[in-house]
Amino acid sequence: MSSSLSHPPAHLPPAVALRISQQAPITLRNPPSVISSYSISSLWSAAETPELWTEYENLMLSCLRTGDEQSAHLCLERLTERFGAENEKLMALRGLFQEAIAKDDAELKQVLEEYENILTKDPSNMPVTKRRIALLKTLDKTTEAITALNEFVDSSPTDAEAWAELADLYVGQGMYPQAVFAMEEVLLITPNAWNIHARLGEVLFMAGSTGDSSADKYLGDALRRFCRSIELCDDYLRGYYGLKLTTSKLLSILPQASRQSKSDSGLALPDLKTVERLNETATAKLSEIVRKSVNGEPGWGGYEQAEVIAAKALLDSSAAKTIR
Amino acid sequence: MAQIPVQTIHRDPQLFYWILIPITVVMILTGVLRHYATVLMATEPKKQELPAIREQRSLLRGINLRTNANVISPASFQARKDYLVNAYERGDFLKDPDKKGQAAANPMTDPAAMEGMMGMMKGNMAMMIPQTLIMGWINAFFSGFVIIRLPFPLTIKFKSMLQAGVGTRDMDPQWMSSISWYVLCIFGLQSVFNYLLGSDNAASQMAQQMGQMGPGAGAQMFGPGVDPDKQFKAEAENLSVLAHEYTLEGVEDRLLETVRV
Repeated sequence: MSSSLSHPPAHLPPAVALRISQQAPITLRNPPSVISSYSISSLWSAAETPELWTEYENLMLSCLRTGDEQSAHLCLERLTERFGAENEKLMALRGLFQEAIAKDDAELKQVLEEYENILTKDPSNMPVTKRRIALLKTLDKTTEAITALNEFVDSSPTDAEAWAELADLYVGQGMYPQAVFAMEEVLLITPNAWNIHARLGEVLFMAGSTGDSSADKYLGDALRRFCRSIELCDDYLRGYYGLKLTTSKLLSILPQASRQSKSDSGLALPDLKTVERLNETATAKLSEIVRKSVNGEPGWGGYEQAEVIAAKALLDSSAAKTIR
Repeated sequence: MAQIPVQTIHRDPQLFYWILIPITVVMILTGVLRHYATVLMATEPKKQELPAIREQRSLLRGINLRTNANVISPASFQARKDYLVNAYERGDFLKDPDKKGQAAANPMTDPAAMEGMMGMMKGNMAMMIPQTLIMGWINAFFSGFVIIRLPFPLTIKFKSMLQAGVGTRDMDPQWMSSISWYVLCIFGLQSVFNYLLGSDNAASQMAQQMGQMGPGAGAQMFGPGVDPDKQFKAEAENLSVLAHEYTLEGVEDRLLETVRV
């Protein structure tokens, strides 16, 4: 099996996921020795590795993503054969499979009922709890999903994934203070995750763009979050993008912002000169990243194409504004 | 100084085929068997109830807040600190709030702890019984045989180690008795088992003894006999005296200093 199978497929670009799932029938031709029929050689062969089963799980997810339900079902069967149908993680995987093959909302509701049956029997089944929340989200029951997630993080407050999901749902509802709180919880669990710092900056920026009284305080916080994310990860495109957006916005409102309003809590807004210099730095860095990444210079690959295009569009629009 | 004549003992070559090889083969087979017996006897880790999970993870949340407090703003930290310290002191997160203030249960009567001890017993048994049996078998059949001559010279100190069961005073310590070969096998077959069964096998006694020496640190923290209420109180104290220092203070100046375009 290829090495990309050992990573969760959610992070794979679509092309790679498709390639993996196209190779699935070949990969799945031979069942692993552990569940194949007994032979004397299995006594001496090397023990099974946990990686094998991670690969099966990831292969199944990739297949579901690309619509190869037969291979996905085969993966699920082999996993069930190895770990038994009562395994918590497998219950969630089976539910995921049923969700994927469901034709309409009625079938999805049936799956939801199944989850609820499992959870009344065993409320500590974490994977199924998470699946239920995801399914509620799919069914557009956002309020219920938020309630369920709040219960979940009450019983398991060290789950960064759940907090991030909760923040996402709050952002979708426009409840920015709550989203900021949830993102801060994620940061308390993973203090050096630059992508989370940048994400929190984005949420703060959105909160600052709503135009209520404390907007400039939010923007100041967002600016610092983006700075921190760049400090943690050099040449982080998302961080520079956010920094440029925030500084441009701050530059437009700073001159008329009242000086007294920010001294009550938190840090004061940075002064105009600093913001200007940050804006210049961000612009220069962004254009450097875009240039080098488009030219395919060695060491500058790995940026996501969509992000590079968005950065280029931002640069072009701000350039047009200056000319005008 | 006169040259010491090399001792020669005429051994029946059959000794080699009927003692040395059987002992080795039996040792390897027992190791493989022990590995599979341990795998079969292993009990699944007991599932924790939701309140127990909540209790542990809430404590971990406090610890996370304490160690990583600097990434959030002073206001956010203050809010979280007030909430957690209050909740910890009231015992909101306890598994069973009624038992608050009572002394921790005796670990011997706790069924969860008994389970762990049974597991340890089983592991010990899987180690002791085959060892006793094989030792008895070797003593009964092969005691007193000199079976092999080591290809390197040794000092007299090794005599008691290599010639167990042979009471000959003047024999060169290079000669090795069957019981000593058995002892050597116990300690020397680790790499063979690694090759046959993978690196985390249960065949070797050495690994098992190591495992018993230092149990995981995580088990200590939430192990039986630890009063969670006391842990919560201690954590509340730690949190309330923590000095907060915001990482984001002055980050923009730091960034402007380091970034060169």
